Parts: sequence; C-alpha cells; structure tokens
Amino acid sequence: MTQQDPGGTRGWTAARKGVLSRLRFTSLRLRLVLVFGLVALTAAVSASGIAYWLNREAVLTRTQDAVLRDFEQEMQNRASALPEQPTQDELQHTAGQMAGSDQRFSVLLVARNADGKTVYGSSGGLSGFSLRDVPVSLRTAVNKTQKADGADKHPHHLYWQRIVDHDTPYLVAGTRVIGGGPTGYMLKSLEPEAKDLNSLAWSLGIATALALIGSALLAQAAATTVLKPVQRLGAAARRLGEGKLDTRLRVSGTDELADLSRTFNNAAEALEKRVADMAARDEASRRFVADMSHELRTPLTAITAVTEVLEEELEAETGSMDPMIEPAVRLVVSETRRLNDLVENLMEVTRFDAGTARLVLDDVDIADQITACIDARAWLDAVELDAERGIHARLDPRRLDVILANLIGNALKHGGSPVRVSVREEDDSLVIEVQDHGPGIPEDVLPHVFDRFYKASASRPRSEGSGLGLSIALENAHIHGGEITAANSPDSGAVFTLRLPRDSSEPGEQPAGNGDGPGDGTGEDAKGDA
Amino acid sequence: MGQNEPVPSLLLIEDDDAIRTALELSLTRQGHRVATAASGEDGLKLLREQRPDLIVLDVMLPGIDGFEVCRRIRRTDQLPIILLTARSDDIDVVVGLESGADDYVVKPVQGRVLDARIRAVLRRGERESNDAATFGSLVIDRSAMTVTKNGEDLQLTPTELRLLLELSRRPGQALSRQQLLRLVWEHDYLGDSRLVDACVQRLRAKVEDVPSSPTLIRTVRGVGYRLDPPQ
Repeated sequence: MTQQDPGGTRGWTAARKGVLSRLRFTSLRLRLVLVFGLVALTAAVSASGIAYWLNREAVLTRTQDAVLRDFEQEMQNRASALPEQPTQDELQHTAGQMAGSDQRFSVLLVARNADGKTVYGSSGGLSGFSLRDVPVSLRTAVNKTQKADGADKHPHHLYWQRIVDHDTPYLVAGTRVIGGGPTGYMLKSLEPEAKDLNSLAWSLGIATALALIGSALLAQAAATTVLKPVQRLGAAARRLGEGKLDTRLRVSGTDELADLSRTFNNAAEALEKRVADMAARDEASRRFVADMSHELRTPLTAITAVTEVLEEELEAETGSMDPMIEPAVRLVVSETRRLNDLVENLMEVTRFDAGTARLVLDDVDIADQITACIDARAWLDAVELDAERGIHARLDPRRLDVILANLIGNALKHGGSPVRVSVREEDDSLVIEVQDHGPGIPEDVLPHVFDRFYKASASRPRSEGSGLGLSIALENAHIHGGEITAANSPDSGAVFTLRLPRDSSEPGEQPAGNGDGPGDGTGEDAKGDA
Repeated sequence: MGQNEPVPSLLLIEDDDAIRTALELSLTRQGHRVATAASGEDGLKLLREQRPDLIVLDVMLPGIDGFEVCRRIRRTDQLPIILLTARSDDIDVVVGLESGADDYVVKPVQGRVLDARIRAVLRRGERESNDAATFGSLVIDRSAMTVTKNGEDLQLTPTELRLLLELSRRPGQALSRQQLLRLVWEHDYLGDSRLVDACVQRLRAKVEDVPSSPTLIRTVRGVGYRLDPPQ
C-alpha cells in the first residue's frame, strides 16, 4: 500500500490536469469529491492501521508465547537432563531432540565440556543454527547473571528478540539452565505469520482503496443531486434573462434546493406578471392613441371638407368677407391643415408601433420619384438634384415620398437652400444623400434627431411640423429594411443618408392586389421571349 | 367642364352625419348634384330610383358594409364607384378594389381631391376616337365605346374599358403600373399600383378565355402589363 501511494498521487495529478480545463479547482463537484475522499481516506487508513496493528500483535504474541513455552519446556525437560559438562555429541543429540517439537524451531545449545572448551550442539548440524545468528545483545542478556531479589529469584531468564534476516522475520530466544547447565538458543522463522499479516495488509489496503472509490462515487452522486438542480436553476435563469418569462422549475422534495426553485418560480411569476402588466399598460396606451387619433379623424374629415369651402370663399374675391372674420377663417384653415398632418402622423406612428404598417411595393424610377416629390411641393428652385434616370428600385413609392419630403423639408427648414440631393447605387442598395448648407447639427442633438417630439432647445417653441417627421421617415426606412443616418458634413451643413435595398419585397409580402403573381408572370416571360 | 355640360349626379353613401353633410356641401360647391344615403340599404334603394353617374361609398357602414354594397352594385351595374377608406395601406383597399371599386380616397379627404378623382373617373367613359381594334375574338369599338367577345357585348366598367383602351392603343408594348395610373386613373406620381393590379384582374376575368393563364393581357415582370395581339 505504501508503494501504491506515489503512483496514485501521480495519477490523480495527471487526471486533475486533464479535467482542469473544464473543471475549475473551485468547482463544487471537485470540492465535494476531495472532501469525501479525504474523509474516506482518513477513516479507512486509521481503521485499517489500528486493525492491522492489533492483529499483528495478537498473532505474533500468540505464536511467540507458544514457541517460547515449548522452548522453555524443552529446556527444562531435556537440557536440564544433560550432565554439567556435556560432550559435543550429547549436546548435538539433545538439540536435535528439542528441535523435534511441534513448533519446528532450530535449537542451539552452548556448554563447556570437561576440557573447559566451549561446545555447540545445533539441531540443524554444523551448517544450521549457529551462535552467529544470535544477536550479541541477546547473548549478553542471556549470559548476564541477575541478582536474585525478592520479586525475581531466578538469576537467569528467558530472553527473546525478533530479527530479520534476508527479509525473513525470525524469533530468537535464549536462556540458561539455572544451576549451571548449557545455554540454549532457539530460532523460529515467523514467515507464515508474516505472510498472514502481509495478506491482511493487502486486504486492508484494497478495502481502503475500495472505500476511496466508493466515496468518490458517493461524492459524485451527492454532487449530482446538488448540482443538477443548480444547473437547472442556472439554465432557467438564463432562459428568463433571454425574455422567456414563462420559464418555471419543477419543484420536487422539500430540501433547500426545492425551496430555492420555489423562490425562483415565485420571482419569475412576479416578473412575468409585472412585464405583462407593463405590456398591457403600454398596449392600452398605444391603443388609446390609435383609437383617439382614429376618433379624431371622423370630425376632422368633416371639418376638412368644410374648411375647403371657406378657403375657396377666401380665394374667390377679396373683400367679400368681413375683414374681422377673414383672419379667423384663415387661421381655421391653416390650423385644420396642421391638425390633419398631426393626426395623420400620429396614426402613422401608432401603425409602426403596432406593427400593422404594410408596404405597397412597385417598381419605380428613383430620379422620377424624387423629381415628382420636389415638384409637388414647389421645391424645384431650392433643391439641386444629382440623380440619373434609369435607377430602378422596388419599394413603396408613398413611403419613399414621405421619407424624402421629411428629409428635404427638414433640410430646407433648418439648413436653408440650396439643398443637395444625390442618388447612387451601392451593390444591392440605393443610397440617397440629402445635404444642406446650414450650420449643421450640434453634437449633443445628433443622437436625438430621430426621437419623437425631440426639441433641439427647450426654449424653442415647436411652431412648425409635428415633431414626428424624422421619426416617421426613419420608421419608413426600417420597414423597407433600410436605414437613415444623420451626420455633419466636413464642409458645412448636415447630411442625412438614406440607404434602401434595391428590392424591398420579402417573402409573403407581395402586394395583395398583385393577384396574377410572379408564377404566371415568369411563365409568360418564357413564352414572350420564345 | 363647360357650361353646357350636364351636371354629373352623385350618390354619397356615408353613415356619419357630419362627414355626409360636409362632403355634400363641398361636392355641391364643386358643381355636382349630390344625393345622400346614411346606410348601404338606403343607398341601394336610391341607386335604383335615381340612376346616378357615380357612387362615393364609405367602407365602414352599419348593416351591410361598403364592400357588400360594392359587390351588389357590380352584379347588375358597371357605374363607377369611389371608396372612402380609413387607410391607404390596409386590407380595406385591397378588398374594396376586389369588390369592384374603381378608385379610393383616404379620410380625412379633401373635397378638391375627391372632386378630381370623380372627374377623372367620369372622363374614362368619354369617347375619344372613331376606330376599332380586333384582338382575336375581342373587338374594341372605340366609337361606340363597346367591347365584344365572340360577338357578345362585354359589360365593362368605365375604368376597365379605359384600361383596355390604353393597352390596346400600344399593342405589344409593356406599360408600367405608374404609367397606367397616370393614363387611366389620372393619378399623380404616388398612384397606388394595387389599383392597376385589381383592375387587370377584373378585366382578365371578362376578356380572357382562361383568366388564370392570360393570353391577351400579359404580366411583364418588373415592368407592368402589355396587351398582346394574338399570333
């Protein structure tokens, strides 16, 4: 297990590097896995460690006790039976007998013979167990004669020690027969026990590894149960942010996440309601303006028709009218016209707001349209037109006229003549520039020129125009899929640039009156050309 | 309008009292004889009694609406109809033109504009030359202002007749919708091309053998229409 650890760490590091790109170190999932792993590791390692240690002690002590008891027994039974000064053969024989016990240990007997020479008797013969195998410390302890006192009245004891020789653990023990006898040593291999303990260690190691894997899986599961709802919540919040206000979460369970989901749902519901309220209020106010301007138009139609009668009366013969009444009539006539324009513009704006404005497309010659527009308003002297005939476009001529009239009218009003109108083609679009020679538009006004009812200066009374002209011009460009931009020319004056697609027809936006349709048109073309 | 010209008589069908009164006043001052009706039903009754030269018809009427009035008139009569509508770009115009109206004006209407349209529509029925043209089975008699197909008289409204005359004057030549609007409707440069399309549809229904695959009045993509002499 100790050898596994470095490898494991390396593997983990590599894995972490691999997933680091998508898994932040601070991510909840990673943190959960780490914490679970640490807890599992600590618990498993400490449990295994304690179990291993206790087991080891129990196994070793039991074996050791049995061996030592046997050895002691043998020493008492056989070694004590030896004469004081035994011969080499006697020692050898006794050692062999002693080793024959159940415990299968090797025995070495050391004594002095009659000549005063040290003789050895080993169970495994001369090549077997020798004094060299006995640690010096043990020999010293065995041979040391202790003073007999009250508690311990034996001068010699049985001593033991565990040694490792060539990776094999051994138990070495030695003692002396009290009252002068041979010194006996025994050597017992603890290999079977070591093997048992080793396999125990392996088992515990595997159990720990399994616990780690299990904890990682558990952590994943826990993270998933926590993160799934969090992810769902995140996705729902994103959808809500994208404007899908009917987004709701399924609430399951009673935990904190369910609580959070409920809170989210409540918030979304409140938001949806508020937005719906606001939309309804907005819609209501738009409807009001639309209805109002519609209602205004009925009396205006009557007034307009009658005003014309008054106007003709004014033009017919001067003097036929009371000089006090005449200015009043003039005022009524001019203000009725203004009111008409205002209501018309208001209705136009509500149509754009409601999205009910429609294009009535036709193929037109742009130069002709501009000339006609200028001519109809008696602006021919004040406008320089730079346009070649033959530039055709498919658009709504009335809306183009509204745009041009507003742009040129605005230029004449604020910039003064001459106003220069130029037309050019760019790829699939048509660019019409209206440039005046006035003082230009102040920088702070420039972003607001297309705003409805925007007043360049608060002090300036809005005497002419409805304040909707440029806004309507812009909306008319937009409905064609075009754009109008305002800028100041480097020379002098303001430049309004109108950009319209050459063909504004969209699929499904064919003029309804065009009943013969493009289908049979092309068919006819083919026939006509043949 | 010379002094001896007969005064055109109009029927104005409009439900709003103020508008009806004001338009009657304005049109009378322009020199028309005006009869008025406040509903479609009354209008249809007056039409049978008085035989006016032209009808000015409001779209939004209580009871049967302007479109239905228009359709009922067209079943028996080819007299010109001008619609009074709320907006130029909405479906009312299309439906109105499909129901057989010759022209339309948008409220709030100016008396002078309405008068100009009325006179333009009335002029369409005027004879201008004394010849005839034949396109296959179709014979256009410009002196009698009649069109026959296979010897049978075709019932054309003045606008349809004028459109056919203008196209037949330039056989094989494509005329743009704007050109036709000027020639037939006498509109300015802002004419509504749907007038032409709707009128061509109605004309085809009357003169073509198979109106859905026309052989006489052809569509020229990106330009307009042309009348083809049969090969």
